[in-house]
Amino acid sequence: MSVFRISYRYANSFFQLAEEKKSLKKFAEDVELIHNTLVQSKELRAILRNPVIKQKDKKNLLSIIFGPKIQKETSDFLEFLVTKGREEMITEIMKEFLNLRDDKEGIVKTNITSSVDLTDSVKKEIASKLEKKTNKKIKTEFEVDTNIIGGFIVQIKDTVYDASVKHQLELLRKKFSEEISI
Amino acid sequence: MAEIRPDEVTAILRKQLAGFDNEVDIYEVGTVLQVGDGIARVYGLSNVMASELVEFPNNVTGMVLNLEEDSVGCVLFGESSLIKEGDRVKRTNRVASFPVGDKLLGRVVNPLGEPVDGKGTVQFDKYMPIERKALGVIARQPVKEPLQTGITAIDAMIPIGRGQRELIIGDRQTGKTAIAIDTIINQKFTHTEEAKKYGIKPVYCVYVAIGQKNSTIAQVVAKLEEEGAMAYTTIVSAPASSPAPLQYIAPYSGATLGEHFRDSGRHALVIYDDLSKQAAAYRELSLLLRRPPGREAYPGDVFYLHSRLLERASKLSEDLGGGSLTALPIIETQQGDVSAYIPTNVISITDGQIYLEPNLFNAGVRPAINVGISVSRVGGNAQIKGMKKVAGSLKIDLAQYRELEAFAKFGSDLDKATQKILAKGARLVELLKQGQYVPIQVEKQVVSVFLGTNNYLDTIDVKIVKRFEKEFHEFAELKYPAIYENIRSTKELKEDTIQLLKKAADEFIEKFRK
Repeated sequence: MSVFRISYRYANSFFQLAEEKKSLKKFAEDVELIHNTLVQSKELRAILRNPVIKQKDKKNLLSIIFGPKIQKETSDFLEFLVTKGREEMITEIMKEFLNLRDDKEGIVKTNITSSVDLTDSVKKEIASKLEKKTNKKIKTEFEVDTNIIGGFIVQIKDTVYDASVKHQLELLRKKFSEEISI
Repeated sequence: MAEIRPDEVTAILRKQLAGFDNEVDIYEVGTVLQVGDGIARVYGLSNVMASELVEFPNNVTGMVLNLEEDSVGCVLFGESSLIKEGDRVKRTNRVASFPVGDKLLGRVVNPLGEPVDGKGTVQFDKYMPIERKALGVIARQPVKEPLQTGITAIDAMIPIGRGQRELIIGDRQTGKTAIAIDTIINQKFTHTEEAKKYGIKPVYCVYVAIGQKNSTIAQVVAKLEEEGAMAYTTIVSAPASSPAPLQYIAPYSGATLGEHFRDSGRHALVIYDDLSKQAAAYRELSLLLRRPPGREAYPGDVFYLHSRLLERASKLSEDLGGGSLTALPIIETQQGDVSAYIPTNVISITDGQIYLEPNLFNAGVRPAINVGISVSRVGGNAQIKGMKKVAGSLKIDLAQYRELEAFAKFGSDLDKATQKILAKGARLVELLKQGQYVPIQVEKQVVSVFLGTNNYLDTIDVKIVKRFEKEFHEFAELKYPAIYENIRSTKELKEDTIQLLKKAADEFIEKFRK
C-alpha cells in the first residue's frame, strides 16, 4: 500500500475518535506538537526508523518525550502505531491528521512570495482579499524571493496566481518568439 | 539599398505587443516526486485530466497517463535528464492535441504538430484532440469509391476503397513502404483538373513514420517532393531517436489530421508506417508505468491500442459530406511469422491485407505480393466496373498457375492443357511486375489485364512481355485513343470498346512479330 493510503487510514481513524470525544482542538494541539517535534528533530526520526531498536524502547522513548504534554488518547495512539510497526510513518500520519482538520475547518494554507518584505498591513490586506475570493479561512506563509524581480506569487493548494515581473517577462519572451504576422 | 525607417520597426513591435496584457496569470502546478526512464511521478495537479499535456521546466512537455490516488504518472516527450526531483509542473488545460488545417500540407511535423522541416512555424486552423472516438454506425456508409494505388496487382485483385483499412504486411525489405509511397504518388492525378472532369475527388495524404531512421524519412520526403506529391501530403515524423511516448501518439496525430479532411467532406489517406514499432513503444512505456505485462510482454490493452486507431477510418454518410478516411497500416513480421501477437491482432481488425513475401521479392517479382493470401474484404464494391470485368479471371488464372507450378518442377512431359495454363500464368506474373515510383493509370491497367486474360500474350516470349505491354500502350494511345477515353469516362468496358481493343491488339501483334 502506498504511504498516502496508510497514513490517511490511521489519521482518519484517529480524527474520528477526536470528533467523537468532541475535543478536536486539544487533539490537534497534541498532533501539532508531535509533528513539529518530529520535523525538527532528525535524531528522533532516525531512532524511529531504525529497525534495530526494540519496539519496547521506542514506546518508552515516546512516552518520556511526549507523555506529560499530551492527552492519554494521543499517547495511546502513538503506542498503537509502534505496536503496528508504523513508527516510521508517524510524521506523515500527523501531517495527514492536520490536513483533515484543515479540511474540516475550512482552512487553506497559502504561500505568498514577494520580492520585498511586505508590511503587516499589506499582508493583512492580501489575506483578507484571498479569504473573500476563496470563501475559506486562510493560513498564510510569507516568503521573500528577489529572483521574481517584482510583484508577487500566491499559491493556494495547486493553484498559482502569478503576478510576478519575472513571469511577465517570460510570457513576453514567448510572445516575441512566435512568428510575427504582419 | 532599401532603408528601414525606425518607426516602421516600432510599428511592428507595437503590433506584436498589442495582444499582450499584464494581468495576473492563473495556473495549476504540481511537483515532481520521481523521474527516470521517460516517466515522471508528480504530486499535486489535483484537477488534471487523463492524457492532458503538462509543462515541465526546460521546455519539456509531458502527457498524463496514470491518475492515482496521491500522484500522477506522466510520460515525457523530451529528455528526462533535464528534469529533477522537486521541479514544478504546470498544467496546460489542453488534452494532447494536434494542430489541423490545410496549411499543414507539404510540411513535416512531429506528433505534437511542431515543425521539423525548418520551414518556420506551422499555420493551422485549430487544435483537435489526438484521441477521438470513432464514428458510429449512423454516420457511416459502405465503401463505394476506389482508391487507386497505381499498382496493377493491387488495383486488379486486391482493390482498396476510400474509407477502407487495408493492412500491408511482410518481412523487412519486402517493399512495404514502397507500396505506400507509390500510392501517395498516384494520388497526384486526383488533384488535377482532368480528374475533376471525370468526377474523381482529390485525396489528401498523411504519412506517419514511426520508429524509422531519420535518413529513411528524409529519403521519402525528397522522393515525394521530386514527384510533386508533397503539395497534398503531410508527414508526421516520430523517428527511432524520439522518445517512446512520441512514437506511441504519432498514429493518433496522423488520424486526427486525416479526420480534418474527412470531416470537411474530402478524402484522406493515412499511412501508419509501421504499427509494430508503435506497439513496441507502447509496451515500453506501459512497462515503465508498471502496468502488468501479458503475451509477448505487451500490455493487456494492446488490441484496443490498434482497434481504436483503425476504427477511425471511415466513409461518411452523404448527410455528413461523404468524406472518407482510408487507413493503410503497415506491420513488419519477423521471419514471415504472421501468427505473432501484433500481426494477428491487426489482421483481424483490418478489412484485408496485402501480404508481401521475401521469396517472391528475391525471385524478381516486384511488388512481391502473394496474391493467394492477400485479400480485400470490402474493396470489391469500390472497383470500377471495367476493372471488375477483366480482373475476375485474372485471380483464377493465377491460382491455377500457382497450383500447377509446383508439379511442373517434377515432371517433364505435361499435357497440352497444363502447359497452356503454365504459360499463361508465367506471362500474367510477368505482366503484374511493376517498377517503383511508376504508378499506372487505371485505364491502362484495365487494358493490360485485358491483354493478359484474353490470351493475347500467349505467343509473346515471357521475357519481352513487359516490352510488349509498353509498346502496345504507345501504339494504342496513338492510334486508338478512344479505348482509354471510353474507360476513363464511363469507368466501364463496354462491348464497343472491347471490339476496338481486340482490333488494336490483333493489329499490333501483327506488327510486333515483324
